[in-house]
Amino acid sequence: MAAVRRGWLHDTRITPNLIVGLILLISILLISLFGPILVNPKMAHVAAVGPNLPPSSENWFGTDSQGRDVFTTLIIAIPSTLRVGLVAGVISVAIGLVLGLLAGFFGGLPDAVIRVFSDVLIAVPSLAFMILVVSRMNRPNITLVAAIVGFLTWSGTARGIRSQVLTIRERSYTLVAHANGEGGLEVLFREVMPNLLPLIMASFIGSVTAGIFTVMSLEVLGLGNNVIPTLGMMIFWSQRFSAVLRSMWWWWSPPIVAIASIFIGLFLVSSGLDRFVNPNIPVSAARQRSRGPSKKAVTAPAAERTATATGQGTGILEVKNLQVVYQTPRGEVKAVDDVSFSLQPGERMGLIGESGSGKTTMATALMRLSRPPAYITGGQILLEGQDLLNISNEALRRLRLKEIALMPQAAMNSLNPVARVGPQIKEAFQVHLNIQSQQELDQRVAAVLKKVGLRPEVANRFPHQLSGGMKQRVAMAIAICLSPKVIIADEPTSALDVVVQKQVMLTLSRLQQELNAAVVLIGHDMGLIAQFADSIGVLYAGKLVERGPVNDVLDNPLHPYTRLLIDSLPDLADKRELFGIPGLPPELLQLPPGCPFHTRCPAAMARCKQEIPVIQSPAPGRQVACHLYPQYDRLPDIETAASKMMAAAFAGQEG
Amino acid sequence: MLRYIGQRFLQFLLIIFIANSLTFLLPRLISGDPIQEAMQVKAAAAGNQNFDIQAWVKTYTERFGLNQPLWRQYLNYWWDLVHLDFGFSLFDYPATVISEIKAAIPWTIGFMSVAIVLAFVVGTALGALLAWPNSPRFIQALVPVLMVISAIPFYLFGLALIWIFAVELRVLPPGGAYDPTLILRPDWKTALNIFQHAILPASALVLFGVGSWALGMRATMVNILGEDYITFAQAKGLPERSIFLRYGVRNALLPQITGLAISFGLILGSGVIIEAIFSYPGIGSLVFRAINAKDYFVINGTVAIMVLTAASALLIVDLIYPLIDPRIRFSK
Repeated sequence: MAAVRRGWLHDTRITPNLIVGLILLISILLISLFGPILVNPKMAHVAAVGPNLPPSSENWFGTDSQGRDVFTTLIIAIPSTLRVGLVAGVISVAIGLVLGLLAGFFGGLPDAVIRVFSDVLIAVPSLAFMILVVSRMNRPNITLVAAIVGFLTWSGTARGIRSQVLTIRERSYTLVAHANGEGGLEVLFREVMPNLLPLIMASFIGSVTAGIFTVMSLEVLGLGNNVIPTLGMMIFWSQRFSAVLRSMWWWWSPPIVAIASIFIGLFLVSSGLDRFVNPNIPVSAARQRSRGPSKKAVTAPAAERTATATGQGTGILEVKNLQVVYQTPRGEVKAVDDVSFSLQPGERMGLIGESGSGKTTMATALMRLSRPPAYITGGQILLEGQDLLNISNEALRRLRLKEIALMPQAAMNSLNPVARVGPQIKEAFQVHLNIQSQQELDQRVAAVLKKVGLRPEVANRFPHQLSGGMKQRVAMAIAICLSPKVIIADEPTSALDVVVQKQVMLTLSRLQQELNAAVVLIGHDMGLIAQFADSIGVLYAGKLVERGPVNDVLDNPLHPYTRLLIDSLPDLADKRELFGIPGLPPELLQLPPGCPFHTRCPAAMARCKQEIPVIQSPAPGRQVACHLYPQYDRLPDIETAASKMMAAAFAGQEG
Repeated sequence: MLRYIGQRFLQFLLIIFIANSLTFLLPRLISGDPIQEAMQVKAAAAGNQNFDIQAWVKTYTERFGLNQPLWRQYLNYWWDLVHLDFGFSLFDYPATVISEIKAAIPWTIGFMSVAIVLAFVVGTALGALLAWPNSPRFIQALVPVLMVISAIPFYLFGLALIWIFAVELRVLPPGGAYDPTLILRPDWKTALNIFQHAILPASALVLFGVGSWALGMRATMVNILGEDYITFAQAKGLPERSIFLRYGVRNALLPQITGLAISFGLILGSGVIIEAIFSYPGIGSLVFRAINAKDYFVINGTVAIMVLTAASALLIVDLIYPLIDPRIRFSK
């Protein structure tokens, strides 16, 4: 069941763009390295045959107006141009790197000064400046010119490096905490370099491009150096002698093709490197379609599975063997693994899990909102008997909000920032109930805002003008405005402070009662969820490990993980030492064999290391996936040897 | 809000100060005597007869105040700058630099504005379309084409276009803004003639522009389509097109429009090479001619104007942005 890891060839960050670009650039580099050796350089300076001759066997690209061989000139010009780019690129990146690091590490005054300078540089049209400077030089030294271009273009690099340094500094504290004794500097270095490298490479390529472009532009304008031929000079001279108008295509098109190839190569490599710099870039639209299973027809291989949902009859929401997979560059990860549960109308279910347990993935999957690299690869989600994973997009769209609604996690980002609150609520009525009358819409909006405890004036505000709690209420208002039968609340209060949390939960509670809607409340706060929910489900490493009515689970948790969760809740009455669950959540790419919890489980047995426990029902209404509960149909009493074993194990814990 | 405006304006002034000081300083650091060189060019053009260049140089140096101490020159420079007085053109004396600039600017702004707007509209629309996850395959095939186009410097297109349309097919004129034999009158014939001459240079710009705007818009859209509010809009059961336009494009337009404004700011500078290639009588041609004639006063003047325009455009962008982004307009 371990995730599939692939070699670097399958690293999804390597795109065709990158490969084509690299091939192009490497070919050009080879030409510029070996070309000048293989031709007679004199032919570029001295007239051999007559002038203005079209291509022949002797002069592959013909001759120019001075009788010089165009092919030789080209071969010599390419490395000159590349050298220009190199000089500009190196200097630009060197300056940018140093200044970016300074600005990032020291902050304060150096940061401000550097920022002012870089802003000024951006505002100045660099070509104009270069014209100003270079026109004064009699025989411009091209390398010097390239260096000056480097001086003018470091701002972009500096900015990127500075923000990377800042991000890493923020993270370095957590890094050091995890470092287990490694020096902070060492860890910083180990983390900084891999992140900076693609950034530096991308900046380098950008600077090289800018350098070649600027110097070439100067040369085309006549500000070049006549001594050594470059591609820009070739274009300039050909224009001077009206090569285009005289149809001397063999003179003006080769340098253009050469330049175009260089730029295209640089561009492709640069855009290919984007993926390495920012691995979170969503895949392009076309690639989204070509990879991964189709969203529509996903049927459950129910016959094979031994773990079927053991809920009571058909609830309003039945999830069966749901499986959601993430395609990461390093392999495939099962974020939600064979999860089944049943929800009755009006039931409040709490779904608890740590970070990485798959709960947010679950939330988006329940409404088929999963986005690549997440793909729903198996199972059924039955809403009133209808499988949401097996209907058309249009049919699903009509069900959303009307029958099943989402209350999003961070409402900060869930509302359209450029639209006012009112229209965003009105949309729901317009689209689903086809109400067009502005008056009626306004009334409904005011009514629903009142329901969540907001004044009608809020409708005229923009989302950023509202506080976090208010935004969450707006999101709630949208979620309930069509009186849905099921509400998926994805950590609705995680981003709020405790006082606001309680208010929001009370409002949610009241709304749920008014609508008699079934609610799936997803979160990591056991205390919060326990106060709200009728029943609880516990997620660990993508699997549902326990399910049952809230009081039963709290009083008598069956799974060791649940027990640890409950025990770790601080108790005001009983003042004892706080403790958490030892260890870390498992790395989903490298799940241990057998039960994913066994590495942290105080009751782990030999069997746990080899066999994955299957969910089953040791008592009516309770489900658990743990080897402590052998696969019997029914146990006579909940007080079994298993529970005794677990109690003994935990007794050792509480000192 | 007021503070924001104040900050931006100060920044504007700072940029003008630093950039123009550099414009003053750099040329003087590099080479010595602009008058000497310009006179030499003129003498060479006149056949290098027995001219007493030194006397000329001395006279003009005094007249242009170039023999005064540096700090004095610097102050004069700023005084002149504020009055937009860039002195006389060395080559076309007694024409003043500012008069030449004034004659040239309308041409540049005219055809560049049209080209920029056209490229922006077509490019942004195309970019949005490319970012639509459900667009047909053949549209997606455009992406590599656009990548190629936007990577190549646009004036190279210009050369190719001249060749195809002006030389081989002979349907369009190869250069100039209007027929040399035409007398400019405000009538349709003149307008058509001007239009005809503007097609090729504008096309080179538009071709390139569409490529880079489209790719930029597509990249912005792809990022925006990954935001939480898109997910929530989908959760609301809104139709795809609605989400795409009202939640996607509307948000993506903000940075695009910023880019457009900046493009307009750099309008004078971007046209230099295109105008050089097409002999289009705008600012670019002016600079081109001045480079070849070593007419430094014209060069200085045009560069100063370019810096002014660019910095003003940035300031205007900063001032306009709050109008289109409600997050800044209504900040608490």
